[in-house]
Amino acid sequence: MQIYLPIAEMPVNVLTILAMGGAVGFLSGMFGVGGGFLMTPLLIFLGIPPAVAVGTQSTQVVASSVTGALAHFTRKSIDFKMGGILLIGGVVGSISGIYLFRVLTRIGQIDLVISLVYVLFLSVIGAMMMVESVRAIRAARGGVIPARRGGHHSWIHGLPFKMRFRRSKLYISVIPPILVGFFVGMLSAIMGVGGGFIMIPAMIYLLRMPTNVVIGTSFFQIVFVTALTGVMHAYTNFAVDIVLGFLLVIGGVIGAQYGVRAAEKLPSEQLRALLAAILLLIGLRLGFDLVTTPDDLYSVVDVAPHR
Amino acid sequence: MKTFPTYRLALALVFVVLAAGAVRADQLVTDLSAHQIAIRSNFTGTEILLFGAVEARTPGARAINRDIVVVVQGPNAPAMVRRKDRVGGVWVNHDSVTYPDVPGYYAVASTRPLEVTAPPETLKALRIGIENVDIGVAEARAIDGTAQALMPEQENAFWKALIRNRQRDRLYSNVPGGVTFLGQTLFRATVDIPANVPVGLYTAKVYLFQDGEVVDTISSPLYIDKRGIERFIYRAAHSDPLLYGLLAVLGAAFAGWLASAAMRRT
Repeated sequence: MQIYLPIAEMPVNVLTILAMGGAVGFLSGMFGVGGGFLMTPLLIFLGIPPAVAVGTQSTQVVASSVTGALAHFTRKSIDFKMGGILLIGGVVGSISGIYLFRVLTRIGQIDLVISLVYVLFLSVIGAMMMVESVRAIRAARGGVIPARRGGHHSWIHGLPFKMRFRRSKLYISVIPPILVGFFVGMLSAIMGVGGGFIMIPAMIYLLRMPTNVVIGTSFFQIVFVTALTGVMHAYTNFAVDIVLGFLLVIGGVIGAQYGVRAAEKLPSEQLRALLAAILLLIGLRLGFDLVTTPDDLYSVVDVAPHR
Repeated sequence: MKTFPTYRLALALVFVVLAAGAVRADQLVTDLSAHQIAIRSNFTGTEILLFGAVEARTPGARAINRDIVVVVQGPNAPAMVRRKDRVGGVWVNHDSVTYPDVPGYYAVASTRPLEVTAPPETLKALRIGIENVDIGVAEARAIDGTAQALMPEQENAFWKALIRNRQRDRLYSNVPGGVTFLGQTLFRATVDIPANVPVGLYTAKVYLFQDGEVVDTISSPLYIDKRGIERFIYRAAHSDPLLYGLLAVLGAAFAGWLASAAMRRT
């Protein structure tokens, strides 16, 4: 069953898109991640123009992160003050990211940069998760409890503009959270992702926030940053396809329900090793495409008027 | 009547001869199966049928070297061709050439291959065949955006690549034998319109060749446009991009809320 996408200007198979949305939703429900970093490459593999893939994907991230943020809101596991600081950085990052996206599109390097950034992040994060989960699996088998992070002071405590975050029980400078937010906002604009896979480790290991507020706070930031990113991609690049977004959201919402249930029955270390393997595979595939000689060295683009 | 001046008679005679001369050449009558193609949500490409007849004014004379060429051309737009080069092991878009006036769609169908239909000069003069279309002055740029001069054969490689790319996307086609005669005068041609066609005003031009010379030409317009919900969404996204973006994001947020409400119930 084919449907013509009005903005991507191509027909796609509805079932393919629903299945992709469902599969990514399943994984995102299972692992508690947004899934944008899986969906954007898949959409590009399918032939959707990268700008439309990124712009549309950000609306899908809005939907899934609203669901996540609401769940954490009812559990009161959101640090709104920290979320607000992260959001300030995120808004600036997102606006800069959109600007960078336009410049890169104009000079013809956007596909390359998207691929490079994906290869970099997917392989680094995939490798880190793999090492960590393998270590955890081994430790569980050997009965050795992995060493907990210590409470030692880091360089972060030397920075100025300190602020008290009651919910996180922290008294730290606002500079690191603003930088983390900025970086994630930029990634959101260029990659069409929420950025939780960067922000959550950064909050735990860099900001040393308590793990019970980390996920909720990151969802809170992601909702607003990706909403801004989506609106700006629509406004500056005309790159949000509502029909495609609708299909992705439907598939994602349904898939996520099953993913959450599946996660309850499976051991978390093995799950994380699986996710790490998926990330590494996608990263490898994208990296492979970058270095192998393309079938046709020449490509044609319409010189479309941009704002 | 008796005083009918001889000069008038001469004049009438001239008219008759002229008219006869004019009608001696064969003429085309053609039409398209559709003058409008609507791109709706179920659009996956289509086919247009062009049919016509040659009105021969020399009955009895068998049309031997008679050829029909059909050219369907889409709206012109600037197009940029980029060439990848290996930079540090990675393939990077490097040099580019921009052509200002490239047809977004160009299909040729003919009774016989173009090479045997007419001499190359005739085809060039009539701009039949994508290689013969005037695409304007090319503008070459290096990777850093500076203008650069390319050798003609280098530039030609870009132009060839554009044709190759669009042929792969089925936007450019050349189908010898795509026009078939049904008997002596009737002919028909089907032209493939793929799903990725640009919207806009198209022209379907039919040329009648006799011994390699154009005898008659006829041109009909064809309009391809998005319709219904496709048109509505596309126009909203381009005329009110801010509102469109806000609605898209709010819709997504609503879907997310709906999902969490449904989850809480179960």
